[in-house]
Amino acid sequence: MSALIFTIVLGIIVLYLGFLKKKAILAPVAIAGLLIALFLSLKDWGLGSRYFHDMILFDNFSIAFNISMIIVTILIFLFGIDYYRMMGLHVAEQYALMIFALTGAFLMTSYSNLIILFLGIEILSIPLYVLAGGKKASFRSNEASFKYFMLGSFATAIFLFGIALVYGASATFYLPEIKIYIAQFNGHLPPMVMVGLLFILIGVAFKVAAAPFHFWSPDVYEGSPTIVTAFMATVVKTAGFAAFFRLLGMGLLPLPAPLEKALWVMTGLTLLVGNLGALKQTNFKRLLAYSAIAHSGFIMLAMLSQHSSSAKVLLYYTFVYSLATVPLFIIFILVKRASDWQEELVNFRGLFKEKSWIAVCMTILLMSLAGIPPSSGFMAKYQVFVLSISQGNLLISIFAILMAVIGIYYYFFVIREVFTESKQLNPIVVTRLNGALIIVCSLAVLLLGVFVWNLPI
Amino acid sequence: MILLAILLIPILTGLLLLPFRKAKLVRSIALASSILNLLLTLILAFSPETSAFHVNWINYMGINFSLGYDGISLIMLLLTNLLFPFILLAGFGREQRNVHLLNFLILFAQSALIGVFLAQNAFLFYVFWELALIPVYFILLIWGGDGRKSITFKFFIYTLTGSLFLLFGIIYLYQLTPGMHTTDFAAFNQLNIPTGTQVWLFWILFIAFAIKMPVFPFHTWQPPTYNMASTQGVMILAGVMTKMGIYGALRFLFPIVPSGVLFWQNTVIILSLIGVVYASIIAFRKTNLKMLIAFSSMAHISLMVTAMFVLNTYALQGLLFQVMSHGVTIVALFYLTSLLKEKTGTIELPQMGGLKLQAPNMAVLFLIVVLGSIALPLTAGFVGEFLMIAGIFKQSAWFAAIGGLTMIFGAIYMLFAYQRAMLGDKKLVYSKLTDVHTLDYLILIPLIVIILGLGIYPQPLFNLMGQTIHSAENILKPLVEGALILKTN
Repeated sequence: MSALIFTIVLGIIVLYLGFLKKKAILAPVAIAGLLIALFLSLKDWGLGSRYFHDMILFDNFSIAFNISMIIVTILIFLFGIDYYRMMGLHVAEQYALMIFALTGAFLMTSYSNLIILFLGIEILSIPLYVLAGGKKASFRSNEASFKYFMLGSFATAIFLFGIALVYGASATFYLPEIKIYIAQFNGHLPPMVMVGLLFILIGVAFKVAAAPFHFWSPDVYEGSPTIVTAFMATVVKTAGFAAFFRLLGMGLLPLPAPLEKALWVMTGLTLLVGNLGALKQTNFKRLLAYSAIAHSGFIMLAMLSQHSSSAKVLLYYTFVYSLATVPLFIIFILVKRASDWQEELVNFRGLFKEKSWIAVCMTILLMSLAGIPPSSGFMAKYQVFVLSISQGNLLISIFAILMAVIGIYYYFFVIREVFTESKQLNPIVVTRLNGALIIVCSLAVLLLGVFVWNLPI
Repeated sequence: MILLAILLIPILTGLLLLPFRKAKLVRSIALASSILNLLLTLILAFSPETSAFHVNWINYMGINFSLGYDGISLIMLLLTNLLFPFILLAGFGREQRNVHLLNFLILFAQSALIGVFLAQNAFLFYVFWELALIPVYFILLIWGGDGRKSITFKFFIYTLTGSLFLLFGIIYLYQLTPGMHTTDFAAFNQLNIPTGTQVWLFWILFIAFAIKMPVFPFHTWQPPTYNMASTQGVMILAGVMTKMGIYGALRFLFPIVPSGVLFWQNTVIILSLIGVVYASIIAFRKTNLKMLIAFSSMAHISLMVTAMFVLNTYALQGLLFQVMSHGVTIVALFYLTSLLKEKTGTIELPQMGGLKLQAPNMAVLFLIVVLGSIALPLTAGFVGEFLMIAGIFKQSAWFAAIGGLTMIFGAIYMLFAYQRAMLGDKKLVYSKLTDVHTLDYLILIPLIVIILGLGIYPQPLFNLMGQTIHSAENILKPLVEGALILKTN
């Protein structure tokens, strides 16, 4: 709880620091604050403290996810030092908004009451709508912001409607009570509850960009400023899945048969859309957007294969996925700067010749996303498959494996470009910090795969 | 401990090489390490006591870092470590970009391959299996020839598709193991899987190996990849990586899904016999020497697959012998091919001819290797193929007759190719052509000595296989029992 309060205060402090007109101190303050928040979260470990009539529950699940999101946000802020030096006037707001969004994410991992989940989603989303439009002069950015806002609010409305319907039937917002309420029907739910639950699931599925509620994500990822895209692809996704998992684990499982079927179909569709969609992309950001959708599919596979270790797998998967994605966006920005702000895949040509160490790091990161051993991405996928196969979901596992093959195809398409010879026009400039970030993340991705296979929850 | 040393020496040497920029130094260090590794392997092979290495890795998922070996692994290990010094030697004195990186990747591949052959745990096996692919992918992508981008891509996706099914199979077997789940081969071998499951599980496991070997109709990646690959790349691919498929099939299929093997036995045999005939005919029609050898390799491998699936000790012994002789022969053949390419600038047979007049020594070396490849008596190929065909004959005379076509067809297209490349009138284009250099002798003479030596006196290898035959019988025992049960029902 102290971490949550501290983070909100931190956001306000950073916002007011903007008045000092000293861009240089913003990031260090924000990062130092996040480190304190990290420490405060660690202190709550194992306490399982409850607040506000049990509406918020900081159990180990939520703390583990919070810590992973804080770490990823710190990485993004470290990237921000260089990113915002090159562009942007109102930097304080950007940091502050991201910190506010992070508090929303904290709520999403630790709710046990649907209203808090709703609040969390809104606190997370509204700053993102603003952040997506961060490049005021860019049409693409405006489009992204507007699209995200429209579709996002629509999804939120459906979500709220769902909560209202469930409340109307069960007279409670508390997940454990809803669970008891559902259990008495033995799987034959009255239509009102069924529709309500479906709407709630749709609302959450929108946040994690699960098909068929994924249409916003490629456009928004492409249009948003890259650092915001990195934030959306990692922290927002992690928060969405933590919320999703909690919703299922605390309240809705075992799902009534039609809903379960709907979720399985969603999983299959997400895998299909994400991977097939990524195949034909020539824009790196769109490619990563589709790859994010594809990864959502794998995570949903782990989530639906209920087992005592599902939460661990989920945490590990989202964390190593984030750890590989953030540096990829950094490399993308470096290459983009060197090639006249082009975002196409072909711009990666000649990277191996120009800066071979970046090329090697990028290969490691992409291999992790593709799930090639011994990277941590492989361990994550391996555990997902172990979960789903040992729960007897053989057909969907085979399907997921086929989709993983397609995944390898487009990730290696990028790797191939990296190792293709070409005359890079401008030299790639890497600041020391960015270089360190890339190398540290790549090493972490590699070493986590060999030495750490799950994170404590 | 010696196993761990054999596994780690190449990759550690490779990492050590990375800062160096002097091509000759890099190559020499790499070569020295691989010779050291060969010596260690020989010590291992001829030492009476067995060695093993075991560390717990991921306990809660039953994954152990355990290395060990039996007769089959030993043959594979010996082949790998025997060929890699030659593969590294093939780089000497040649123009290459990024020599340190290339040698690192080659040594990386060597470590991964050794890991595949030593792993006693299916998960570990899988990790090494995939790891072996990555350096080879980059060797092909960076140092390959024309069209490397799309061909490498196809090769990579093709083989990875198979591997992922293998991964599925491993996980499926893992969750079948009783009690604390584990991925140890020992536990897998104890499993008693219902026949219905084995029937589909067979293909899940087999596809990865079928692609790697390759078995008809999973072979389409192979000829263009061989054709495009650099000398060293193709030596690794054809010499060692195809053997991964054979090894994997022996390790996974026979002990774990014996009923599946029996169920599909004839299907696989027929597929591979189609492969024999098909590849031989195409090899005969090819005018590109490298393509020709690629298809001839496929024909030989297909015969080996047939021998593997007839399930008797003769064929299995022949198979293991042939693993060795095919590896050595094909490496020598591909080295000679690239030598021809360097000397004449082409490997298109119609443009060649009359080389014997210019380079008599090369012609002699080439002839010996060609004869080894067509399994002439007194070469290693003969011993292997004879045993295999004898084994296949026990299964069915028809299978043996079609399988025997490899030797006949092989003789036709290889000798025809030799005639077109080496004999005939002298061509003016080659007026500046020089004969074989010392370096080439260093590579070819030892390989030829092995080919002839094993052909004249194969007993050492059979002695080495002493344990292998034992383990082969162990592999076959449940199968034969299973066949009896099927017959009595």
